[in-house]
Amino acid sequence: MKKILFFVLLFGLSLPMMAQITVQGTVKSSKDGSTLPGVSILQKGTTSGTVTDINGHYSFTVPNNATLVFSFVGFETREVTVNGRKTINILLKPTTVGLGEVVVVGYGTVKKSLVTGSISSVTSESIDNKPITRLDDALQGMTSGVTVAQSSGAPGSQPTIRIRGVTSINNSDPLYVVDGVVMNGGLEYLNPNDIASIEVLKDAASCAIYGARAANGVVLVTTKKGRANTPLQVHYNMQVGNQNVIKKVQLTNAMQYMQLRNEAVMNDGNAPVFSLAQINAAGAGTDWQNEIFSTAPYQSHNVSISGGSDNATYYVSAGYIDQKGIVEPSIAYDKKFSLTAKTTYKIGKYVTVGEYLGYTYRKNNTGLNTNSEFGGPLSSALNLDPLTPVYVGASVGTTYPQYALQAGNGMYYGISKYVGQEMTNPLAYLQTQLGNYGYSDNLVGNAYIDVHPIKGLTLKSQINVKKAYWGYKSFSPLYYLNANNNNTNMVVEYRYVNQNLSWNWDNTIEYTKDIGKHTFAVMLGTSALKTTGSGLNATYQGEPVTNYQDASFNFSLPTSQRIAGGYDNQPYAMSSMFGRLTYNYNQKYLFTGILRRDGSSKFGTNNHYGYFPSAQFGWVVNRENFFPKNKFLNNLKVRLSYGVVGNDMSLGNFQYESVISGGGSNNYVFGNDQLGVGYSTTSPANPNLKWEQTTSLDGGFDAILFNNSLSLTFDYYTKKTTGMLLQVQIPGFAGYTAEPWSNIGDLTNKGFEIDLGYNKTFGKDFRLSAHGNFAYNKNTVTYLGEGKTYLDGGATFQTASYPITRTAVGEPYGAFFGFQEMGVFHSQQEIDNYNKNGNLIQPNAKPGDFKWADLNGDGKIDQADRTFLGNPIPPYTYGITVNLGYKNWDFMVFGQGVWGNKIFQAYKRLDIITANYSIEAVNAWTIANPNSNYPRLSDNDPNNNFRYPSNFYLQNGAYFRIKTIQLGYSLPKRWMNVIGFKKARVYVNISNLFTITKYNGYDPEVGGSSYGIDRGIYPQSRTFLIGLNVGI
Amino acid sequence: MKHNKILSGLIIMLSAVVITSCSDSYLNVKPKGESLESNYYSTPAEAYAGLVAAYSALNTEAANSYANPLGPENSASDDCYTGGGGPSDMSQWQAMNDMNQLTPAQMPVDMWRVNFVGVKQSNLLLSKIDGVPGLSGADKARYTAEAKFLRAHYYFNLVVWFGNVPLFTTPQTTAQIYAAKQAKPAEVYAQIEQDLTEAIPDLPVTVPTSENGRATMGAAEALLGKVYLYEKKYTDAANILKDVNGTPGGTSRFGYHLLANYGDIFDPNNKFNAESIFEIEKTGSQNYDWWAWGQFKSNVYSLMTGPRGYARTGSSSTAPNFLSGWSFNPITPDLVDAMVKNGVYDPRYKYTVINLDSLVAAGQCTYAKDQCYAATGYFSYKWAPLKQYTSTVGNQVLNFDQDIIEIRLADTYLMEAEALVKSNTDLNRAQALIDAVRARVGLPSVPVNMANIKHERRMELATEGVRYFDLVRWGDAASVLNNMENGFSKHFTVGKNEVLPIPLSELTNTQMVQNPGY
Repeated sequence: MKKILFFVLLFGLSLPMMAQITVQGTVKSSKDGSTLPGVSILQKGTTSGTVTDINGHYSFTVPNNATLVFSFVGFETREVTVNGRKTINILLKPTTVGLGEVVVVGYGTVKKSLVTGSISSVTSESIDNKPITRLDDALQGMTSGVTVAQSSGAPGSQPTIRIRGVTSINNSDPLYVVDGVVMNGGLEYLNPNDIASIEVLKDAASCAIYGARAANGVVLVTTKKGRANTPLQVHYNMQVGNQNVIKKVQLTNAMQYMQLRNEAVMNDGNAPVFSLAQINAAGAGTDWQNEIFSTAPYQSHNVSISGGSDNATYYVSAGYIDQKGIVEPSIAYDKKFSLTAKTTYKIGKYVTVGEYLGYTYRKNNTGLNTNSEFGGPLSSALNLDPLTPVYVGASVGTTYPQYALQAGNGMYYGISKYVGQEMTNPLAYLQTQLGNYGYSDNLVGNAYIDVHPIKGLTLKSQINVKKAYWGYKSFSPLYYLNANNNNTNMVVEYRYVNQNLSWNWDNTIEYTKDIGKHTFAVMLGTSALKTTGSGLNATYQGEPVTNYQDASFNFSLPTSQRIAGGYDNQPYAMSSMFGRLTYNYNQKYLFTGILRRDGSSKFGTNNHYGYFPSAQFGWVVNRENFFPKNKFLNNLKVRLSYGVVGNDMSLGNFQYESVISGGGSNNYVFGNDQLGVGYSTTSPANPNLKWEQTTSLDGGFDAILFNNSLSLTFDYYTKKTTGMLLQVQIPGFAGYTAEPWSNIGDLTNKGFEIDLGYNKTFGKDFRLSAHGNFAYNKNTVTYLGEGKTYLDGGATFQTASYPITRTAVGEPYGAFFGFQEMGVFHSQQEIDNYNKNGNLIQPNAKPGDFKWADLNGDGKIDQADRTFLGNPIPPYTYGITVNLGYKNWDFMVFGQGVWGNKIFQAYKRLDIITANYSIEAVNAWTIANPNSNYPRLSDNDPNNNFRYPSNFYLQNGAYFRIKTIQLGYSLPKRWMNVIGFKKARVYVNISNLFTITKYNGYDPEVGGSSYGIDRGIYPQSRTFLIGLNVGI
Repeated sequence: MKHNKILSGLIIMLSAVVITSCSDSYLNVKPKGESLESNYYSTPAEAYAGLVAAYSALNTEAANSYANPLGPENSASDDCYTGGGGPSDMSQWQAMNDMNQLTPAQMPVDMWRVNFVGVKQSNLLLSKIDGVPGLSGADKARYTAEAKFLRAHYYFNLVVWFGNVPLFTTPQTTAQIYAAKQAKPAEVYAQIEQDLTEAIPDLPVTVPTSENGRATMGAAEALLGKVYLYEKKYTDAANILKDVNGTPGGTSRFGYHLLANYGDIFDPNNKFNAESIFEIEKTGSQNYDWWAWGQFKSNVYSLMTGPRGYARTGSSSTAPNFLSGWSFNPITPDLVDAMVKNGVYDPRYKYTVINLDSLVAAGQCTYAKDQCYAATGYFSYKWAPLKQYTSTVGNQVLNFDQDIIEIRLADTYLMEAEALVKSNTDLNRAQALIDAVRARVGLPSVPVNMANIKHERRMELATEGVRYFDLVRWGDAASVLNNMENGFSKHFTVGKNEVLPIPLSELTNTQMVQNPGY
């Protein structure tokens, strides 16, 4: 207040002839009539102003003919002439479509109405109150062109994010920038409650400011900060609830299993395994899925304190999330604790300093081997026979090997006599994982100084540091799960610790100037970064303990039982310069040009530096004189942009040289068990390595229609990636163990995106807002090297010899590839009829075997008959959010879906002949069931019905999912006044209430390293939560 | 005034950053723990590390898949089936068992790749050795001879397995790799002969214990003799093998003699014994666990041959104390019948075969026979995963240390005898050689002829990886493999399966031509 007084005095002195008047009043929202604290009030044409207090009240001394400008984030600015009035109460209208909002664009911000690139924003309102534990989850279904697929339903799992499709065969993960700090992974440190907004830069022209690492799109995260001239605000958010499995996979029960086993061996001409009496006595047997899934609790708490005076702001928060997993919740968990402090301080007139400090501790269980068909509880539950009991009894005599495990009740866990390999009793397996966990400590900080020496000029220097410690601890007791999974030798304790330090230093200078209706802004900057890291691990074998609680590295053991290892990360450095020129004429013709030069240590001297230019044009049509005043189309902006960006993220260091490295496979043994350490080259050199380059052209428009109630954004883009880094598939006779990298491949993404927003208040009490988005992306690989039509390799499943995906020219990246079955042969006649020039195409087939398509027509079925069977990545994605409000009630429903993709069901271990069957196998072809199209069961499988990857394993991956439903109630004002709260809202939230899909596995959302391949994915849960928001 | 100071400070700061940004040295970081090829081979120690790397490919247990050559070699023979946990377990080996399945996509690709790694590492050392400062003349000569011996060894494997392979004697650039064509088998054999002939004089007659496993003159001569035999150069083979073998039953000039007890040959406590001519050493000292895939220098094949779900019934059981394994390469009834004639056991049977079903019947042990694919009840014993040979540290499964003896004296005796019979030269010596092999296990003399040599080789060298090549070499593969008694027969196609298909991955963008019939 002192300051304001000073201003007032100053003003009074400088304009003594004007009559002064003290105006006071209250500012409220026209939406719900609530008072608005922190609204800025300025006397037009001067720098003097004030803000509303906690009750929305203000008082301001001005000349009696002054014009007051009321402005507040999220509301339309209003100008009011005083005209001698002493009381002026103001209603501010919320900005329906956010044109006044400011959008973060990388090293700066732009008013939304002047944005010329393709940028989507997600605000904290759509993040708050959802049970989101990670930043990246917040993007799902919220903006067009951003595909988010969970890699696992396990607590805290990182989803797979693709912005406008797969940009590179190597690494298509977007670049994350938090408060201007480029993050190289490790985003789990961020507390979702601290996020103020997320901006997604989608077109290359916008991304170009981040140059060599931005080809996959950029996600800019802005964290919350205190607001100036705002009294202390305390917020508390809480969520408590339970998660449950949504559906189980239909498998055969004990009787069905025994019948099918008999069927399989009898089809091979062998005697049945089970007698009729055994089958009749078997009953349903064990349902392993019932054993592993349980209700899992979830809770989160978050407290934040924020506020500010006129020269300082502060924001401090503490968050805690504790989530158990629905698969074996007794050990599966993810816990996160985070602390954040962010302050700014204004020194004198020209200088602002600020800093951010965050600390996060995370601990999670890691031993569940999810989304792998090779063991772990999910894979075992899907493949173990139903005959094996969970427990066999308290005494097993000599029938069980030493170290077979006992449950807490003294009962031994059942060991399957039928299914071995990686499949084990999941409850017994659990006992071997008790002492295993991963953890991380993240310290993130930045400090900056902002100087505004003269009007329009800003200099900023910011230093960012991220120090991460993470690791893993495990303990293996003595155990016997089955012949392949046991430790009967020594207990093993293992600890793995890593640290990583990355820092960058960004400096920018920006100057803006208005000359008449011309507005110019020039920004120049430099950036340098370096990362280093290292790790150590230790293994202690044979500690004199039997369980993880007693294990300790304090035990003295002979050196032969103490093993240690370590590594140093190869250093990585970048050095960059960049500039941006922004120009607009009367906010009507808009232009932005960007140029960035990046230097990267990943490339040899031939290509140290890369240049990334872009240009963006905008035309705000409605500001033209010829634009008719109408109620239909209120606002129209047409955009066009073109830009070039790079990608070096997938490339390791020193790939441009032939490096001599030692150890490992290069070693040999001489003398009396003496290991000789050998050194040799692992791959040939490629001094011409350079960036992958992505150029994109984007055209679109932003329109506001129907009396400012509907916003529409449309974008069409083409994106071409050239010089994609591929490991040259160097033939084996070259004798190298690693393949060299080279800039070879090209691919394109083309698509369009539509975003719709609707916002309207009906009458006094009813509010409706809805947001929808829809995107289509077509990904096509266009070049893979001279004469090369496809890449060798691809994803594999089980022990099959053919890969199940192929990256080929003319096809989307990693398309499913395999044999085509055309139903089964229902009779010998059909086999005989399937011939070429009288020669049977499948001479060894029997009725009930698949009829394979002889695609090359050579009269035999072999590898040349494989074809493309579908796309694992959905080309169509969409999301819709509807918010309804009535008086104190609010209701939100959010749904999201995809279509056009296929899912490969790799979790069915049909190579383990005794593995449990999917329920469909009951309908397998037999002489008695001759019309079935499910192939006959056979252990030998001479026709490769189950061994060939084929469309038999593929299912439609389309789904629509009601992701969130939330019903909330805000306590009325009069109650608030009684308890002294500013705000109190309670709500119930249901996640994943239902999913519409034809997919019959657990969950149609299959992200992760092998996108679209379901290896027994950890399914997402249905979550019921009760939440509370309190503001004091 | 104050803000001017801050401003100028900031401008200086910014300029400093711009300057550092521009300097290349900031970006020129150096690798840690690695060297660039151009800087390497600059000390004798680095030359020796290059030599170790040239040896390393001999002992690769895991690469694309499990890579011990005994697996595919035994799977292809009439001594073993592939076995394992199911019909697609180690499908590359299953294709060796049933050669109808053998395709460019489905074959033991490591047989190709690993040997070419050895060729590359040998060639790299040979190309650098002249310029290594400080390397003594003696060391240089020996390293050169060893690299040539190794190159010959790798190429011999390649030419026998694949017939038509590209021949490199220098390091190749990427462009040269793509332009390379296959050499004629005769050219490859000529290079092998030249390498071995040049290596022999520079290799040591014996090595100190600490250098066990390094190439010796005897090893090179034995290999050359084997090469000649495969080339059907019988006189040359007999001549050089005579030098290796010395007087039949006696001790040769290299110190080789037959061990008195046949079982001692394979005992890990008896490594580098007097019968071992070239031995690939495995170690149990490295604490390998699954993280070390591709790096194992232990014997993983041992564990692979063990029975699944194996347990002894009590500590007083007379059954062998195996670690449960993965039931690969079970012994065929065919081999059992060959070793047991009319109830009379060949003395080598008990060191070769373990009849597990009889031990189960006697209540001495149990195993999960229904999880063992192609189970015969007989398991291989020479490399069996006996617990006494497990490492006390590391993952038991991955740290067996049984060596693989590539060439041993009984083999060279029988090879020389074969060469003598085929060339019809010194039949008395041939008789003495086969008699010595039989006498060692207490068997009486039989007349030396091809039929008896063939039988003796099968008995003496069963499951040691030579049987399949013997059958192919003798032209017996089709008649033997397609007519196995008891259990399923194999499928050998004459004119095709004498060599393996060139792996599918080698045909992409290269000049390689597929072998006939594939």
